[in-house]
Amino acid sequence: MKTINLDEIKYALQNLWQRKRRSALSILSILIGITAVFALVSFGMGIKDYVDTLAEESGTNKLMISAKGIGAPGTDDTFSLTQDDIDFVEKINGIDEITGMYFKISEISFKDKNKYAYLMGMDMDKIEFIMEGMNINIEKGRELRKGDAYKAVLGYNYMLDNKIFSKGLQIGDKILIDDTKFEVIGFYSSVGNPSDDSQIYMTSGIFEQLYPDKKDKYSVIMASTEQGLETKAVADRITERLRKHKGQEEGKEDFYVQTFEDAIATFGTIINIINGVLVLIAMVSVVVASVNIMNTMYTAVLERTKEIGVMKAVGARNSDIMFIFLLESGVIGMIGGIIGVIMGYLVATTGGSYAAAAGFSALKPIFPWTLILGCILFAFLVGAGSGLLPAIRASKLHPVDSLRYE
Amino acid sequence: MINDYIQLAVRSLAKRRMRTYLTMIGIFIGISAVVALIGLGEGLRIAITSQFGFLGTDILSVQAASVSLAGPPGAGAPNPLSDELAEKIENINNVDMAFNRYMATATIEFRDQQKIEFVISVVSGENRRAFERMLNLKMQEGRMLTDRDTKGILLGDNYYKGATYGATFDRPIHAGDNVLINGKQFDVVGIIERKGSFIFDDAIWMNDDVIINEGIRDDDGTIDILGIRVKDPSRIEQTQEDVEKLLRKERGVKEGEEDFTVQTPQQALESLNSALFAVQLFVTIIALISLLVGGIGIMNTMYTAVLERTKEIGIMKSIGARNSTIFTLFAIESGFLGLVGGIIGIVLGLTLAYGMAFIGSLALGSGLIQANVSLGLILGSLAFSFILGTSFGVLPAIRASKLNPVDALRGNK
Repeated sequence: MKTINLDEIKYALQNLWQRKRRSALSILSILIGITAVFALVSFGMGIKDYVDTLAEESGTNKLMISAKGIGAPGTDDTFSLTQDDIDFVEKINGIDEITGMYFKISEISFKDKNKYAYLMGMDMDKIEFIMEGMNINIEKGRELRKGDAYKAVLGYNYMLDNKIFSKGLQIGDKILIDDTKFEVIGFYSSVGNPSDDSQIYMTSGIFEQLYPDKKDKYSVIMASTEQGLETKAVADRITERLRKHKGQEEGKEDFYVQTFEDAIATFGTIINIINGVLVLIAMVSVVVASVNIMNTMYTAVLERTKEIGVMKAVGARNSDIMFIFLLESGVIGMIGGIIGVIMGYLVATTGGSYAAAAGFSALKPIFPWTLILGCILFAFLVGAGSGLLPAIRASKLHPVDSLRYE
Repeated sequence: MINDYIQLAVRSLAKRRMRTYLTMIGIFIGISAVVALIGLGEGLRIAITSQFGFLGTDILSVQAASVSLAGPPGAGAPNPLSDELAEKIENINNVDMAFNRYMATATIEFRDQQKIEFVISVVSGENRRAFERMLNLKMQEGRMLTDRDTKGILLGDNYYKGATYGATFDRPIHAGDNVLINGKQFDVVGIIERKGSFIFDDAIWMNDDVIINEGIRDDDGTIDILGIRVKDPSRIEQTQEDVEKLLRKERGVKEGEEDFTVQTPQQALESLNSALFAVQLFVTIIALISLLVGGIGIMNTMYTAVLERTKEIGIMKSIGARNSTIFTLFAIESGFLGLVGGIIGIVLGLTLAYGMAFIGSLALGSGLIQANVSLGLILGSLAFSFILGTSFGVLPAIRASKLNPVDALRGNK
């Protein structure tokens, strides 16, 4: 077994220092790839973290019953769910809380400017449950209350300038919703995507008054299960019972039941696949960098052939020579990795703040220690790995031939 | 003269074969990744945009505004278009015909299997032929609809293909079969030729009077899309403005605050196209990083070459070589590295793109994954790799050209 010799380490580092430019270029080539990989993975992990917290905070015991249709909820009311459906599901074993939610696209006007937004009608008896499920709370102003006539709470983005309207709205502002005047009484916290943060919320009572033909046509029912029960099992039970209740055959339901966990997991999987593809493409540059390092090391072996011969002649073993060269390439990789992580951090935080400014605050990178150390270790291994073949060649050089080499 | 330069450069590269190969590998990995990604992206873009079949230079479509990405055209619009507009629009100069289009969601049942799909109206009456031509509807089985088909429907190819990937039902539906739509029986009179797009291949088509009379879409005086055909395509912009003016008046909105859009199919495609382009650009930029790394590899190799050949440069200078000669010599060498790397990269990239497209289309059975490598892309990559090689060789070449002949001869590095 080889013991690590301090002199060997010093010698390897000196060599790198002597060929400053070449070392710097090799380091540059690997750090570029590491920067890209680190930044992309930090976004991927950030989204995974966001999805996990979302699942946890909105509750793993929640599920959604939605009417089937083409397009987003509220755009296609061919099929809908009724109060009768809600009452029926409520009685199913294992259901804790349940509420129906109205969705509709409507025209919003403020100071003669028109926009289109999703409108949501909420049952005030269940407001706390809805807020918990949607994972939002009041950011400014107050929550809707039962009997709040022509009052609305708006999504986060309405507060901001140049987002939905050129000037952010204030508490007390009047807006027109499909030509009916509403008073803004509050704003919800940010969900992190432009679509949800542009929603408008009102009581289901007012919603029914405004759109009488939408009454009793819920787009979505949200429910939670009692503690200790498996949500998936309850969801299956609901599908079966509600199907029978509505007199529909298996496979011919006009609704579907999905647990929050499943819905969120599906979203997370898609994001992960996209991110994985991007990381893979970024990895190509790491491969190229590894070829560069290999090239540098072969050149180093060539240039130092005589030196190697001398070292061997005075008793250096093959393993000593190999260790020196492996260490050299490994250090190139590691320094590239460290700088790459720092650069990647800068790139990711800049990108994250741009995304947040564009309304995608869910797109937030995170930098756990495992990622930082992992990237540096990875860069070290890439460096050492790329140096392996040149190091083997160096270690196998014949001392006499090398001494004679010009 | 230039021949001598090239010979000298190639000979120097050949002397350090391993280094030359490794440097080229760096370039061709990057170039092949870029060629393959752009080629596949371009293929995907063409596949997606060509799905919208409704192309024609003489067509305008009108939709009421809604939240973007809400679903099918016109879905959930707060102020839908009125069904009386078509008649008024037909009075506009240069409008050949205007027709109402309806869309609705319905259940379709076949052999005890039920799906929820959408129904699209077919224009009946005197404009039927023109409508069919406009959408380029062709039958692969059965026949087109006629005005007498009060119980007849056409189906897209996904109903016909049967149990392969993307099929709507486990068993294929043929012309002559019966299906239940919203529980009522309809006859399938024809199957439309495959268009490769869900808008066509998943849809159920029926006459516009039938879709209303059978209660599949509410008869509430509104429509989902308004199609317009103009007589003279060269004046389509003027007509577009005229239609906008009429709609502003009819709907009582001011200019700049329109709650509807009037678009040519090309305009409708543009926004989709630009979104796809942005994605493609992002992916390409990430792939370009590897080329940058490859370029750094060239620079490193060239610096090493200058160092190794210091003595040689000294000799050349002492027998009369000018700075510019030395510079050209090294620039040719690095440009050559880039160019050859680029050629190999393009060949690899083409193989990769078409290979992946082939495997992808086999695995998914869809025409969505295809490669499209244009001549421009090939020539562009070639030029790019040469420029990349030369430009990363500039600094080392300058260094070589500026060496002091005496010092160089002495071998001072």
